[in-house]
Amino acid sequence: MSTYRFRRLNAAVARFAALARSSWRALRGQPLRIAALLGVLLLSAYLLYLDFTVRDAFEGKKFALPARVYARALEVYPGAKISLNDFTGELARLAYRESPEPREPGTFRRELQAIELTTREFQFWDGPQPSRTLRVRFDGKRVSAVNGPGEGKAAVDIVRIEPPLIGGIYPGHNEDRALLRLDQVPPALIEALIAVEDRKFYEHWGVDPRGLARAAYKTVTGQGVQGGSTITQQLVKNFFLTPERTLTRKFNEMLMSFLLELHYDKNEILETYINEIYLGQDANRAIHGFGLASHFYFDRPLEQLELHQLALLVAMVKGPSYYDPRRHPERALARRNLVLQELARHERISQEQFIAHKNQPLGVVPRAPVGTSAYPAFLQLVYRQLRRDYQESDLRSEGLKVFTTLDPQAQALAETALARRLAELERIHRLPAKSLEAALVVTSTQHGEVQALVGGRDPRFSGFNRALDAERPVGSLVKPAVYLAALEQPEQYTLATLLDDSKLVLRQRGTDDWEPKNYDKQFHGEVPLRLALVHSYNVSTARLGLALGVDLVVDRLERLGVDRRLTAHASSVLGTNALSPYEVAQIYQTIADGGFRTPLRAIREITTADGRPLQRYPLRVEQVASAAPVYLLTRALQDVVSEGTGVGLAQYLPAAELGIAGKTGTTDGLRDSWFAGFSGDHVAVAWIGRDDNQPTGLTGASGAMTVWGMLMAQLDPEPMLPAAPEGVEVVWIDPATRLRGDAKCEGAIELPFIKGSAPRETAACAGAVTKTKGWFRRLFE
Amino acid sequence: MIDGWKHWILVGVAVLGGCATLPPGETPVDSAPVSENTAVAALVSQARADLDAGRRSNAAAALERALRIEPRNAALWRELAKVRLADGRYDQAEQLAAKSNSFAGSDRALRAANFRLIADARAARGDTAGAQSALDHARELAR
Repeated sequence: MSTYRFRRLNAAVARFAALARSSWRALRGQPLRIAALLGVLLLSAYLLYLDFTVRDAFEGKKFALPARVYARALEVYPGAKISLNDFTGELARLAYRESPEPREPGTFRRELQAIELTTREFQFWDGPQPSRTLRVRFDGKRVSAVNGPGEGKAAVDIVRIEPPLIGGIYPGHNEDRALLRLDQVPPALIEALIAVEDRKFYEHWGVDPRGLARAAYKTVTGQGVQGGSTITQQLVKNFFLTPERTLTRKFNEMLMSFLLELHYDKNEILETYINEIYLGQDANRAIHGFGLASHFYFDRPLEQLELHQLALLVAMVKGPSYYDPRRHPERALARRNLVLQELARHERISQEQFIAHKNQPLGVVPRAPVGTSAYPAFLQLVYRQLRRDYQESDLRSEGLKVFTTLDPQAQALAETALARRLAELERIHRLPAKSLEAALVVTSTQHGEVQALVGGRDPRFSGFNRALDAERPVGSLVKPAVYLAALEQPEQYTLATLLDDSKLVLRQRGTDDWEPKNYDKQFHGEVPLRLALVHSYNVSTARLGLALGVDLVVDRLERLGVDRRLTAHASSVLGTNALSPYEVAQIYQTIADGGFRTPLRAIREITTADGRPLQRYPLRVEQVASAAPVYLLTRALQDVVSEGTGVGLAQYLPAAELGIAGKTGTTDGLRDSWFAGFSGDHVAVAWIGRDDNQPTGLTGASGAMTVWGMLMAQLDPEPMLPAAPEGVEVVWIDPATRLRGDAKCEGAIELPFIKGSAPRETAACAGAVTKTKGWFRRLFE
Repeated sequence: MIDGWKHWILVGVAVLGGCATLPPGETPVDSAPVSENTAVAALVSQARADLDAGRRSNAAAALERALRIEPRNAALWRELAKVRLADGRYDQAEQLAAKSNSFAGSDRALRAANFRLIADARAARGDTAGAQSALDHARELAR
């Protein structure tokens, strides 16, 4: 407790004691003494009760500072893959203002090929970064130079723009409060509040006698019980919201206000008021606090509001429903201008400012946004990862700052691709509108950072998160695990090994016979292992999986990226196990990363409210599969895209040239449509299905792959160029004889082999020289 | 007991195995520039300064920023492996050195240096046989 408050408390106690002593002396010897004593005791007890009640209410609100969650900070450096438009988009997310001379933090000037800006100061995990004036030049899709201001215009190697705030983890059941610390509240709002609601706020003791007298006069003269409330009284009233307006109530409010002022200083009271005051109603949801009201009326954080918008919020304090700017815009406008006028009258703003803002429209968004975050699905993931290490109460009340991996631009592209393709698919396939649901996960290939997460077709809906929680059979997405298990046994299996794709019936005691079918209802006889994967043949894959052992296949799947035990059935080798899109992303991440499993993460760092580093979630890697078989598998998955079930990706981007690797997945009755794949820099998984698990009529290629393709084309991916690891050799294979060949053999292809596993014999079609060489080599081997 | 002194000898061998004229843990590989990219080079300098000052978390954070720019840079992965080694996170040091090797291609010197780092990590964990095998690998590559 501050000394200031201590003194006030002591003074009050002394005054009370003096009063008690003097009454005591005056009443000495009187029979009334006992009655008076009793009265004082009762009054004290009542005061104590009120004191307890109001402090309890206050403490309950005051210390709940939610964790604030940030997207990734944009890194700007020469060569960075950011276009001028991307950069402007980022500045818009951060509410930078255009200015002809952008020297103030948070302003920028756009030129033809460059942007000049002044960043805001920001406390990063590894220390503060001061505000800087920069000139960023662009050359097409990339940053070409970053320079400082002034004559020298010194080159800047790398700079971070402050990260966009993407949401918070709020107290209470509905995750939609936007609590603010006093230092985050625009000073203009505070000035307006005090000018309009309680001019003597910093002087009174919770009750303003003159205001009170006025109110009492009006009450006595029959003009109604009203008015005269200080900010403190309004706060108290707000704690115990009842429509009741009696004198007893008023008296209690006054006492409680006085008690609050004894315990807390003005700033604490003001901060709580700003977060607590009632400012509107959205169906069943009460809008409390200026932070939330700012989102509710303007769809922007309070810090980004302009003066006339702040004035409107202050105007509404008097009667949020009477002055509702959506239902009664004229009343709201008139009262807002009154607030502006008060500010001008007290010389808080200039006459020019007054006129400029008075002529502004209300600027309220027509429809209130749902919730306060635009990224509910990603926030859910962040929250779950946080809950492993933090108490729920800490997350909701300690004001932690959470720095995440979300790339708002990738997220926006993912949402757009998904919404557009779902609508198109429903139209083309004559499906009922809005019947399809979907999920998308995008991560960075070598770091396992979650860059975008879409949990359904309405990305603002914070309910069922299909990316994390919809566990669906994965169908052919499981095949890479089967083929990896095979390629890890090079003495038995190579990409050229022939598999048997003839009719297969599995008879097991106690269960029905299992008779897997190919998608085209045909059998393909003997097929090379590579082509069985490329064309996603079920029968040969089932036979291969059973030969390897179901347990081995399921073990591979788990090691690649499933953190729970899966049940192993014969049909597991064809993907009857249900996984979430997020789990699938982890599996393909490991393949994309050459057999190194990097646990997917959404959080990089956490600091305390005042910026002290608390925790880092470092990049971790674990090699769970050898490089050579993963390389062979990856090459085959690239062939899926260049010549197999994934050729359709070419409609969206030059997938084969980019070396994109991927796999389609379709489940029984076309219920689930999957595509998982990766470029050099992104891993992405798309799922389409219905919440009622009815057929969609879509295969992996006709459904999910088109969403994936549209998204990836927008992401402008880096090519996938896996380097052949040690112990891999590339050999020409003659398809007719399946022996070593060369470019002269008809239809010959180059295939990678783990050293020692390639065919030793050379086909007749290969040149004589090679033949001799082969013969020679055999002599010495 | 025997394992104990063997372990220390191996640590010694591993350290000296680099180059007698360089400080412990450093090899000629580490004096080569990590990247042509000025942003990456700046972050690596920052990470090295952080590491020298004992701010290992900051060093790791700077290297992760660099890796987001150049994810396939083998030398950068090695830098991160060195930070983990200094941090006493031997398992991650070994894994990251292996990851560095997966991008090292034909750079035998870098791969050899990484195997020596793996040997250090294993020796520190008390895995004498594993350390010896990594050293053998390093020697094989250095030949």
